[in-house]
Amino acid sequence: MKVAAVTAPAATQLAAEGIAKSYPGVQALAPISFTVSPGERVALAGPSGSGKTTLLYLLAGLLQPDSGRLCIEGQDLTAMRPGKELARLVGMVHQQFDLVGSLPVVHNVLAGRLGQWSLASSAMSLIWPRERRLAQEALERLGIADKLNQRTSKLSGGEQQRVAIARLMVQSPRIILADEPVSSLDPALAEEMMRLLVELVEDSGKTLIASLHSPYLIKKYCSRVIGLRRGQVQFDLPAAELTEAVLDRLYDLKAERI
Amino acid sequence: MKLLESRGLLTLALAGAFLWSLTGVDWGSPLIHTGGGAAARTFFLALFPPDLSPDFLGVALAATWPTLAYAVAGMTVAVLIGIPLGILASGTVVSSPALRLPAALVSRFSLGGLRAIHELVWAVLFVAAFGLSPLAAVLALGLPYGGILGRIYAELLHDVPPEPLRALRTAGASPMRQFLYGRVPLALPDMISYTFYRFECAIRSAAIMSFVGIQGLGYQIQLSLHDLLFRQVWTLLLFMLLLVVLVDQWSSLVRRKLAA
Ligand SMILES: Nc1ncnc2c1ncn2[C@@H]1O[C@H](COP(=O)(O)OP(=O)(O)OP(=O)(O)O)[C@@H](O)[C@H]1O
Ligand SMILES: [Mg+2]
Repeated sequence: MKVAAVTAPAATQLAAEGIAKSYPGVQALAPISFTVSPGERVALAGPSGSGKTTLLYLLAGLLQPDSGRLCIEGQDLTAMRPGKELARLVGMVHQQFDLVGSLPVVHNVLAGRLGQWSLASSAMSLIWPRERRLAQEALERLGIADKLNQRTSKLSGGEQQRVAIARLMVQSPRIILADEPVSSLDPALAEEMMRLLVELVEDSGKTLIASLHSPYLIKKYCSRVIGLRRGQVQFDLPAAELTEAVLDRLYDLKAERI
Repeated sequence: MKLLESRGLLTLALAGAFLWSLTGVDWGSPLIHTGGGAAARTFFLALFPPDLSPDFLGVALAATWPTLAYAVAGMTVAVLIGIPLGILASGTVVSSPALRLPAALVSRFSLGGLRAIHELVWAVLFVAAFGLSPLAAVLALGLPYGGILGRIYAELLHDVPPEPLRALRTAGASPMRQFLYGRVPLALPDMISYTFYRFECAIRSAAIMSFVGIQGLGYQIQLSLHDLLFRQVWTLLLFMLLLVVLVDQWSSLVRRKLAA
């Protein structure tokens, strides 16, 4: 099932060329460059304020870079239409899953189709859900098909996490971004989240870029790790080569070690 | 820092205005009418019991009907005004940047104008225009309440948490789709409770439309007060209370349904 091996490893799916972003008074991201090939699973590590969220938001098109160029599958990100085109290439799972609690699960899942539906269809679907099968199948694969018509806020944290993944499955973007997808979860759910994400990515040859802090999860689920510090790339390694020493230096933990 | 300073200044100005207003009160003459004690006693004693004769209950019931009907029809008009103007004023659906500001300004200005004028003043205007017709009462309620509802709807739609909207955006949802799938469901429960709260207020307002001669509970209260029939006044007040309690029950029923 590992499609990563099938795609040409040299092909570039995402290219960041000197992208930078600053906020009044802070340079959140120094000009940085890197490329990602299809099927890679990239972890972004780095201390608080190092620019992980900023970088992911740039890749998701939620923010525009001050300078530099971002290309995905050969297309300039800034030239893309945010809904239709971009949503096919890039999707994101958020830290608190950020679902709409007062809507039934089915609409939160089908929201992954909003980029492809016309406005009228989107509105009608709130009354008569269209492509209900898509939502049903996604939830079945995640083992919560019985929750289809429940109010989302009534679901447990673990179930909401699956709803967020089901939305991604329905959206089916080529690149999946995740901003600290496990930081609000207990260890068992954290592992479950990573397993589901990696499964989704591997099944259909997608690419994953996730900010993660745990060296255990990085090594187990990712193929590559980029260390960010003060908005700059401090290291860019295969996940297998990540050592305690490298991480400690990134997080400035030296002083605390005996 | 600037905000803090200006807020301090504002507090100071408001406190000053309050203190200044005290100098306007004539503290010399007694504030409480001297014969008031006896009158109040007669009034309260009339509660035991209120006038519950079948005849008068019939009168009270007949007076309750127009009050309730004006309140319901007035609120319907208010919601019909409040929803479109509130959506426009929230500045969340007009995607063209050139149109967003004018649309928000025009709708906010209209909402402000509607609610700047009290319902009784609207009533005077409409009675002058249409005579003592139900239409005058309904419009007099509907316009200012529409202004109030629109203003609150705009705020509730504008102030929903940004995270679910951002998540919808990364799923490919345009601002209009974010509005349908995010803002509306997130704001709707509060919009509904606020509308019900305003419905209670509308019942009170419908009752005092009697000041300009419109029929209803208030009109009967005025008649009974005029004849010093305090037991009848109490009966009518109890009917008023009943209406408000009923609306309150209905409102909590709807809210429970929404939360389920
Ligand atoms: N909206 C904003 N306005 C101003 N400064 C911001 C904003 N967002 C982020 N920053 C600043 O940019 C820098 C990078 O922030 P970013 O959120 O990308 O860091 P992060 O690596 O995600 O941190 P964390 O691990 O705490 O989430 C920080 O110094 C932060 O204070
Ligand atoms: Mg962050």
